[in-house]
Amino acid sequence: MSYEIPMGPYHPGLEEPYKLDMICEGETVKDAKLHIGFNFRGIEHLAETRNYIQVIALMERVCGICSFIHTLTLCQAMEKLTGLTPPPRAQYIRVIMGELERLHSHVLWAGIAAKLMGFKTMFMTCFEIREKVMDVLQEISGNRVNYAMNRIGGVNRDIEDPQLVLAMVEALEKEMTRTIIPIFTTSKTATSRCAGVGVLTTEKARSLGVVGPVARASGIGQDLRKEAPYAAYGEMDFTVPVVPDGDVRARLLVRALEIMESCKILRQALSKMPPGEIAPPGDGSKFSFVTGTAMARVEAPRGEVMYSVSWKEGARMPSRVHVRTPTYVNMPAVRFMVQGARLADTPLIQAAVDPCYSCTDR
Amino acid sequence: MNLLTALARLLIFPGILFAIPAAWFFLWVERKSVAMMQGRIGPPFMQPFYDFIKLLGKGTPPRTGIVGGLMRAWPLIAVSTAAGAVGLLPVLPSSGGFQGDLILLLALLEVPSICIIAAGFTSRSIFGEIGSAREAVLSVSYNVVFLLAIISVAASQHTFRLEALAQAPATPLRWVGILAILICLPAKLHLNPFSLPNAEQEIYSGPMVEFAGPELAMWELSHGLEWVAATGLVATLIAPQMAFWGLSALVFVALSFGIVLLLSALAAATARLAIDTTVRFYWQCTIIFAVLAVSSALFMRLRS
Repeated sequence: MSYEIPMGPYHPGLEEPYKLDMICEGETVKDAKLHIGFNFRGIEHLAETRNYIQVIALMERVCGICSFIHTLTLCQAMEKLTGLTPPPRAQYIRVIMGELERLHSHVLWAGIAAKLMGFKTMFMTCFEIREKVMDVLQEISGNRVNYAMNRIGGVNRDIEDPQLVLAMVEALEKEMTRTIIPIFTTSKTATSRCAGVGVLTTEKARSLGVVGPVARASGIGQDLRKEAPYAAYGEMDFTVPVVPDGDVRARLLVRALEIMESCKILRQALSKMPPGEIAPPGDGSKFSFVTGTAMARVEAPRGEVMYSVSWKEGARMPSRVHVRTPTYVNMPAVRFMVQGARLADTPLIQAAVDPCYSCTDR
Repeated sequence: MNLLTALARLLIFPGILFAIPAAWFFLWVERKSVAMMQGRIGPPFMQPFYDFIKLLGKGTPPRTGIVGGLMRAWPLIAVSTAAGAVGLLPVLPSSGGFQGDLILLLALLEVPSICIIAAGFTSRSIFGEIGSAREAVLSVSYNVVFLLAIISVAASQHTFRLEALAQAPATPLRWVGILAILICLPAKLHLNPFSLPNAEQEIYSGPMVEFAGPELAMWELSHGLEWVAATGLVATLIAPQMAFWGLSALVFVALSFGIVLLLSALAAATARLAIDTTVRFYWQCTIIFAVLAVSSALFMRLRS
């Protein structure tokens, strides 16, 4: 006999509010229905009532984890409409901030995945490491969540002490190779919860159009930092980790390897960062936009973020700001991942997508 | 005199007067040691007691369609049987009268688990029912090993009497039994890696989901008493015989404390296993311990 289990919109296994109704037989999930929209705040509409300075601050509030990425994508779109190019140092600072954000997002995810496996000790370890990244972000920007780093044509703050970031990178790499990666990959109890669980085959992943680490864990080697480099990513030497297995363990492995690659990128960016200005001359309060729509894409920790910004010449406010977030693209895949899975594994399968409903519902 | 001794054992030591503070103390040791292993500060010493008092003072929200009497009865039965199990432990030398035996102790230890299963189904919550089903499957799996262990211990001394077992010298078969009991304890106490019936991230703590206030306080107390009874059983089987009763009590508490630390370390170092992996683990254990128990019994028979 089948029965329906509601998971969410408020559930200890979920990071953010969404609902998954699972049709189960015994402990096996037969099918699932996804409901989203519990966190809708009308931010896109609000953006149409804000000027080009205010809209950056507004879009930073779309997400509490990848706030920098949102303003970066918006600013890149607005730079296309104003014809401004950020100075080289600003491009490097954008890379550094983007990678620091990726680090703290991936370590946060590892912690949540550990918590969902009931591995609270690993959760605490991950959050302790994340705290070090947050400290560095605070040191650079003065803030822990909304950094206010981006502006049209550059960044607001310089990185005055690269050694601070380098010291954190060293500590993080050490902790990752010494504790987190070995425990996640060799602990019998942890691997039994991850290996072969929530499989998304390469074909299915391609047909659903998933992005980011979810796609890379299903054998699709896509990463905008390589395929369509922005900021200073074109000058960085790094590899895109791809694992073909498509299960939770593969998603875990991809993110762990991405942490190592982020450390590599950070080292290069900090050592090669050119001197000079971080923003175009002037007080940054007056910009002239051309009429049109510009689009920018950035590789966020969860995958591709796309902003489409429309402007009318002479206007101070955008006529339309549209956002497409990676979670919106990835979540339909959850239905196929949970089919045939054990009920006990469903929180972890959902978490393996690293869903962000703050971004998706906005 | 015999009646007085029996009453003293049941009501004072190792019975209720000792067992209830010991239950809070063991709950605190578990929470504190896990916290320290995780780099947290952990709760203050009196926290389990404060939690109990706080819950006693809270009301229970109205629950339509649920039999309130049964919801109140299950935790009370669990507390009384767990306390009874602690009272039966042969920590002190007895001067005759009713002493109980291993089978009674086993039955009393099993009742809280049955109460949890019944409570989950009584709550009529889907999460409670899933938790109860998991508890039932888990119970069937580990109890085979647990029974085998108890039989090994009893067979090693040719008796089911607790007092005689506690006083008898250790044999290989008895150590096999103790090891098997230790393997079953994390499942019995719902600790990682076998904490799936009360997995909060999956099923909102399962059977406990509809319980609040004094009922939840009783469940917490029964859980603490289970800690005392289960660790105490192992402690009495391991503890060497002492001439002075005070020393016996001290060794009992120290050994129980050590076992709590051991189980807490295991819980902190592992993730939660899924139900099929757990069942497979315990059935594999059953086969291993069955072989070990039979070979030890044969070895002892040949030697005698």
